[in-house]
Amino acid sequence: MNPRTRRALEFVLDNLVWFMLIFVLAIFSLFIPNYFQLGIFANIIEASSVLGVMSIGLALVIIAGHMDLSVESVAALGAMAVGILFCSAGIGMGVQLHPQWLMVPVSLLVALSVGALVGSLNGYLIVQARMNAFIITLAAYIWVRGLVLAVSGGRSAQDLAPAIRWFGIQRLLGLPLTAWIAILCFVVFSLIMAKTPFGRHLVMIGGNETATFRAGIRVKRNLIIAFVLAGAIAGLAGWLLAIRTSGATANLGVGLLFNAFAAVVIGGVSLKGGVGSLPGVYAGVLLLSSINTAINLMGLPANFTQVIHGLLVLAAVMLDTFKQGIRQRLA
Amino acid sequence: MKRILLALFSVAALCLATLMPAFAQTKGTVYYLVPTLLDEFQTGSVSALEMFLKQVGYEMKTLNADNKTDGQQSQMNDVIALKPAAIILAAVDFNALKPSIEAARAAGIPVVEFDRQITSTPSDFTSVAGTVEIGHVAAEQAQKLLTAKNGSVKGKILQVLGDPGDPYTLDIQKGFEEKMKAFPEVTIISNPAMQWEASNAGTIVADQLLANPDIDLIFSHAAHLSVAAVASLESAGKKPGDVLMMSSNGAPVGLDLIRKGWLNVEVEQPLYAQAAAVAMFMDKIVGKQEIKPGEYDVLGLKSTVTTEAWGPNIKIPGAAISKENVDNPAFWGNLKPPSDTVKPVE
Repeated sequence: MNPRTRRALEFVLDNLVWFMLIFVLAIFSLFIPNYFQLGIFANIIEASSVLGVMSIGLALVIIAGHMDLSVESVAALGAMAVGILFCSAGIGMGVQLHPQWLMVPVSLLVALSVGALVGSLNGYLIVQARMNAFIITLAAYIWVRGLVLAVSGGRSAQDLAPAIRWFGIQRLLGLPLTAWIAILCFVVFSLIMAKTPFGRHLVMIGGNETATFRAGIRVKRNLIIAFVLAGAIAGLAGWLLAIRTSGATANLGVGLLFNAFAAVVIGGVSLKGGVGSLPGVYAGVLLLSSINTAINLMGLPANFTQVIHGLLVLAAVMLDTFKQGIRQRLA
Repeated sequence: MKRILLALFSVAALCLATLMPAFAQTKGTVYYLVPTLLDEFQTGSVSALEMFLKQVGYEMKTLNADNKTDGQQSQMNDVIALKPAAIILAAVDFNALKPSIEAARAAGIPVVEFDRQITSTPSDFTSVAGTVEIGHVAAEQAQKLLTAKNGSVKGKILQVLGDPGDPYTLDIQKGFEEKMKAFPEVTIISNPAMQWEASNAGTIVADQLLANPDIDLIFSHAAHLSVAAVASLESAGKKPGDVLMMSSNGAPVGLDLIRKGWLNVEVEQPLYAQAAAVAMFMDKIVGKQEIKPGEYDVLGLKSTVTTEAWGPNIKIPGAAISKENVDNPAFWGNLKPPSDTVKPVE
């Protein structure tokens, strides 16, 4: 194989998930009535915002060689905290701040703090107390959802303060601001992962923790930061979720964890750690969202929707495995 | 060490004593097996059943199955071992619980079906609004709304279902589509909101508004799904009244949406009456006495008891809530429990 062909092939493999996305969008546009329109593409990006942000935190921890199953429940807790404080109907307390824009940073801070708190507890138990990440975060997945139920009493908070809800309604270049926040998060964290020592250290830790430690890198500190960030980012996802649904219900975000895992894996992040990039994860999120939108528009019988969804995700992951096989042959 | 152990045992004994204060004063303990608490109707049913059963002399304990069929089966087995006065079951899965119901009844424990009807095996009492009937009431309302808007029953309806694995939503869909079949000029697009999750409903509405901008009516199978649907309508620049909206179950958030002008109709499940009916007949159920068919007044609602193949069955009509009657305190969504005390049926 000559170097030019090899470079071209590597480029395709590096960005395979983006090519898959383009291919899927083209197929859906051709065969599904009403799919090909700017509004639908804007919807796909908008619907990806919550899942996308949540996937960033999850990807950071997975790249560092660990796992965080609590992100879905943490997002729900963040949304519920914002809902209880700043919603005016249901169980919302309708807290008012003056000037009104002050509610935006305060609500965001609440969601981020709630997430960071759970993340730091996870990080401490996993890194300092050396407990198993799967078990600790699984426990957090359960107890945090339980906490959402306990604080809400199973009821919902509705009618989010207009100053906060503004982010879900106001549009810039056809996209709501919540979608821009998600895109901004991907840009910022992609740069952090690619250009800062912290990002590079996370990849090194995920690749070989012992070697990284011996190289003098503060493994524990970086890992705890990764867990705190995953929690805080999940809190941000909760904030976006509350904006998107104008409040919070006790089951808000249920099922997002598995979609986030699917997006991260489709995006090329290795579950073994040490491999992966955030732009790929974003493509994975968009791919899932475009599949969801296609299912919505096809009007399939309700009973089969989950089967089709699962099979499409499986197909995407199989293609990714195929890609890794080719890459190994090239190496 | 002995002293510490003694102190610990004393504290534990004190805690147990405070947790079990007055067994002797009640007619017995009734267990309520609730399918989930992530839903306002279900949490409301816990407090309503507890309140009404207390009025007729029973203590109630609740076990939450977290929407897991196997979990509810285990709970049934555990409760059977405790030999309570009765079990009230709102089944996660209508058919999977059949053996557990049979086991409880074989052990001499009466089983009451609440909210979710099980027809495959006999029970001692069933109190339901009827999920298929909710679909029927919704269809009648949809016909009225479409006629008012389009001059006759024609147009496009987006039906936002709950989780496709939940028979509750499939029954409402069945009832709704059964009645709407008579109107060939009505197109119904049905999409499921996986796991009853609100943001999924929001995405469905956002997508469908673009693919089918001529949607006349959105019918969500739960009020909390309508909230997310409204958020999507708002994002799309719609105002209250631009698209007709309807949902079912009568949760507080649905009533709020009616007051704000977004929702036209909410088909209520008569939660208070369903719970009160169980309490009214509990003495007869526990005493294994005959429950006579006929009409009964349950919190002012005319309800009919019939003897079916699966046992005595009380059906309480669900009401259609609109702007005209939204403040009626009888609707559970207004969260004003009835002040009248329930009396056992003689």
